[in-house]
Formats: sequence, structure tokens, C-alpha cells
Amino acid sequence: MKLGRRLEAQTLRKLEGSLFIAPWVFGFLTFVAFPLGFSLYMSFHQVKITVNSVQYTFIGFKHYREILIANGSLLYEELFPFLRESAMMIPIILVFSLLIAILLNLKFPGRTLFRVIFFLPVIFSSGQIVQEFIAQGEGSLSIMETLRIDYYLQEYVPGAWAAPIQKVMGSFVLVLWYSGVQILIFLAGRQTLPAAVYEASRIDGSGPWSTFWKITLPGLVPYIFLNLMYTVVDLFTFPSNPIVSRVNTTNYGSSSALAWIYFTIILVFVLLTLLLYSRVDKSLSGSKK
Amino acid sequence: MGFLDRVSVPLERMNRVPKLRGKLDDLQRNRKLRSNLELLRYRVLGTEIDKGLLFKAAVYIILINVAFIYLKPILYMMTTMVKDARNILDPSVIWVPKSIYWGHLKEAADMLHYGKSFLISLSLASSVAVLQVFSCAIAGYAFARLDFPFKKLWGALLLFTFIMPPQITILPSIMLFKSFGWLNTFLPMVVPALFGHGLKGALFVIIYRSFYSTLPKELDEAARMDGAGPFRMFFRVMFPIARSATVVVVLFSFVWNWNDFYFPSLYMFTAEHVPLSITLARMAGEMKTAEGAGELTVYAEAIKMAASFLIIMPLLFVYLFAQRWFIEGVERSGLVE
Repeated sequence: MKLGRRLEAQTLRKLEGSLFIAPWVFGFLTFVAFPLGFSLYMSFHQVKITVNSVQYTFIGFKHYREILIANGSLLYEELFPFLRESAMMIPIILVFSLLIAILLNLKFPGRTLFRVIFFLPVIFSSGQIVQEFIAQGEGSLSIMETLRIDYYLQEYVPGAWAAPIQKVMGSFVLVLWYSGVQILIFLAGRQTLPAAVYEASRIDGSGPWSTFWKITLPGLVPYIFLNLMYTVVDLFTFPSNPIVSRVNTTNYGSSSALAWIYFTIILVFVLLTLLLYSRVDKSLSGSKK
Repeated sequence: MGFLDRVSVPLERMNRVPKLRGKLDDLQRNRKLRSNLELLRYRVLGTEIDKGLLFKAAVYIILINVAFIYLKPILYMMTTMVKDARNILDPSVIWVPKSIYWGHLKEAADMLHYGKSFLISLSLASSVAVLQVFSCAIAGYAFARLDFPFKKLWGALLLFTFIMPPQITILPSIMLFKSFGWLNTFLPMVVPALFGHGLKGALFVIIYRSFYSTLPKELDEAARMDGAGPFRMFFRVMFPIARSATVVVVLFSFVWNWNDFYFPSLYMFTAEHVPLSITLARMAGEMKTAEGAGELTVYAEAIKMAASFLIIMPLLFVYLFAQRWFIEGVERSGLVE
């Protein structure tokens, strides 16, 4: 009797939960799972769109072979430099946003004003506006020209990396512009670290430098990885991303194949991040014991 | 300090001896100087490094520099759009124009069909934002505090949705919406939002989930004891309590939907009634062809900047209005965990 009632309560709870999650699950199935499966299906087919019907002919891996091997210019000449660029942008964005978040977390007069300014990029960076600014050449730093960094880069850095470095330096301001959300995440994360720990370390006589390395940084590790993931995801839908504009309605089949190749690359990136995170997390919690 | 008081008595006695007075003065001056120096040191370097003037100056220098980087394009935009032909051609005018000219703004507003597009953008972005807040709060709440079958699996799929670039589902989505007859309407943007998806919907669900998972378990139990059903509890207790998360989500959702160019450009490419982000792109295209034909070259930049300003201005207003709650919300909501 008692068991029966408890079971009943449990199923009731499950029912409630299912009711709450149902809209999301329905949305997921219609707007994510179905298109996802369909694009996988299309990537193996030649898609022909006539006036009132769509024809699919199975062609196996032909689209993939074309993109990966036969006609690799898009992948190897456009996507790979972009990936190299992002590989450099990610650490810059992370370090920069961490620095700014920590500075913004200090108490000083005018802090609110600075916060208002530093959250501005969140508003602008998602729009067409930034594109306009890039077009106006607002993205570059004038130090580059005055110090002739371009020249040194070309002299001393191997060719495959010199161009991406140059590009990143050229759009350095842009990189800063894209770290708005990351600053937010770090700032929110910094708030979760208890003030008592800082007080204790201060009483024990440790300076800000060692406090940063011993308390702030380890405490922020989850947020660093969250940011890393966010940045990776964000970069892959970056306006300067060569792939984004290539996935279009001119050829459904090969566009889908391209999107899938691209998605696989992202997944590899993200899985590597997660793997790294679990390693770091384990070693951190291990050292605490 | 008590010790010093006791010492000062013999010192006073010594005062009477003229020989010793000079030495004492020296001593006192020395002490004063040293304490002044120490005070200076404390002021400049601080009792701890991060409390001194030097450190503060460094902080301000860094922050002001970066703030300038963020503000410069906006300042540039605002000064460029009010320059007339004379000011544009005058090489001595870089930042501050000699006279203010509003014509570009008017022209840009005409080219953008500002009145109409503004209303479209406003209704689109705000309806999506409202829908996303409700649907994502419900989903986030369910993920954080309710039980349902295959919860782990759905949680993993939520993360998957967050990671997945929209490009991979865009083509089938277009076909899907085409078969519904929704192309060139707002439904492809609005309906997914109703179900907790849409532009960055997964991120909003995650924000709500992490907010709700920080609340103590007793809260549910107390409400349950008082006899509140699940829906009542959600709308009376759980949703109002998440105010700080809601502020963050509303602002993000509104701003991102306002700015979004990608979805509208693919779902409504031939529509007549389009949001501002599309009219801006169309305008830029028109101006490029005009430039190719050799017209408009002097004014092009000023008009573009005026158009950009017109699009950003509502967001700036919203942000200035909401920033207080927004910053608070970011700090308190546990935007993350």
C-alpha cells in the first residue's frame, strides 16, 4: 500500500516533469533533430529541385569526396587558415577577457561606468554594424604599422603561420570586440568565489600575485572552459568565417556535406576541450586532497 | 600608543634642558619626515599592492585604453554622420566637424524605410524575446528541478544543440518552412522560439537551468506543502524568483534577434516587409552598385554611418535603460552555474 502510493507519487512527478519538458522536446524534434537527419540524408544525395517536386538520387560519398579530395581548395585554402586564425584568437580572447573581468571586479570609483562601456560589445558585436566597422578599417591597430611588425613576421615566422598571425594582428580590435560575452561570464564566475577565502589568504600574508595564481585562477577553471567552448562555438559562426556563406541554397546536397564536414571539425574541437577539462579538473581536485 | 604617552613625560622634562633641545628637534623632525614618507609610500604603493595609487593608476590606464577601443567606432560613427561635404573634404577635420549637418540621417532613414522596418524589427525581436523567456524558463526549470524519462539523454542533446552551428540545419529548415508555406513571413523565427529554440535558444535554457539548480531544494518542498500545483508553483514562485536571469535572457534575446541577419536573410529573402538588419544589407548593396556606377562616393561613408547609428540607437536606449538590472543580473543570476 505504502509502496504503491510512493510509486504513484513518483510517476506523478515524472508526469509533471514530462509536461514541462514536452514543448522543448517537441521543438527539438521538429526544429533540430529532423533538419539534422535530413541534412545528413541530403549530403549523400544529388538534390534536384524542380518547380513542384524535389528529386533525390543516391550518390553515396561523392559530395564528401569532392570536398575533401577532388576539389579541396575551399577546405584547405580557406578553412584551414581560418582555423589557424581561430587557434590564435581563442587564447587572446580568453586571456584578455579574464584580465578585464578581474579588473572590473575590483572596487574603484567609476566602476559602473566602465562596466557599462565594457558590456557594449555584447550589443554591437552580433550585428551588421561590426561588418561596417571592419570595412572602414576600424579593426586594426596603428602600432602594427609604426613598429613594422608585418615585416618582422614575414622574415621570421614560417609562411603557413605568418599570414594568419598578420590577419589576427590586423583585426586585433575586432578580437577584443568579440570578447564581450566572455567578460560577462568571467565576471559572473568571479562572483561565485567566496570573499572569505581571499580574506584568509590576505591574513596569511599572500600578495595579490600569488592570490591570483593560487585562488582566482583555479577557482575560475570551470568558467575558463565554459568560455573556451563558447568562444569555439562563436568563432564557427563568425562573420569572417569562410564556410558560413558557402552553405547556401545553390546546391543542397554538397552544401549539406560541407556543413557536416565542418560540424565534425567543431565536434572534434569541443570534445578535445571537454577531455582537457576533465583532465584538469581531475588533477586539480587530486591536488586539493 | 599608551607606551608613547608614558615616554612623552620624560621628553617634556628634557625640553627644559637647552642642550638637548636641538637634538630632540632633530629627532622629532626625523620622525615626522619618516612618517610622512611612510604615508606617501602607503598612498603610492599601498599597504598591499592592490590598494596603492600606483596600482590604481595602472588599472585605470588599462581600462581607459580598452574603453577607448570600444568607444572609438561609436564616436567615429557619430561624428562622421553629421559631416557635410565641406567637412568631409576638409583634411583638418578628423573628429570634430565644424558644423553639424543632419541631412545624412534623413537620407539614411529614407533608404532604410526606417519607420516601417523599425516597427518590424521591434515587433519581431520583442515577440521572440518574450516567447524565448517563457519557453526557455520552463525548459530550464524542468532540466534543473523536475524529473522526466531520459533526462540525461535530453540534457546531452541540449548541450549538443548549443554546440551545433545553425548552418547544418539551415537548408532542411528552409525546405521544411517552405512546405509549411512560412517563407517570407516571421513564423520561421517566431515558432521555434515558442518551443524554447530559435536563435541561441539552447544557451538561454542553459542559463535558466544553471540558475534554477542553485536554488535550495527546500523551496519546492515548501511550496508543495502549501498545496501549490506544479503550474501554479512555476508561475507564482519559480518564474518571478528568476528575475535576474530573466533580465539577462531578455536583453540577450532582444539584442541578438534585433541584430540577426543570418536567419532573416535566408527565410525572408524575397519578402517586402523586412527587419532593419536586412534593409541595411540591401542598402549597402545598393550603394555598392551606385559606387560602381561612379556616384555618391563622398557621402557614402557618412550615410552608412548614419544608417548604422539609426539601427544601433534603439539598442543603446534599451541598454542604457536596462544596464543597471542587467549588470546586477549578471552578477547575481549565476549566468553560469
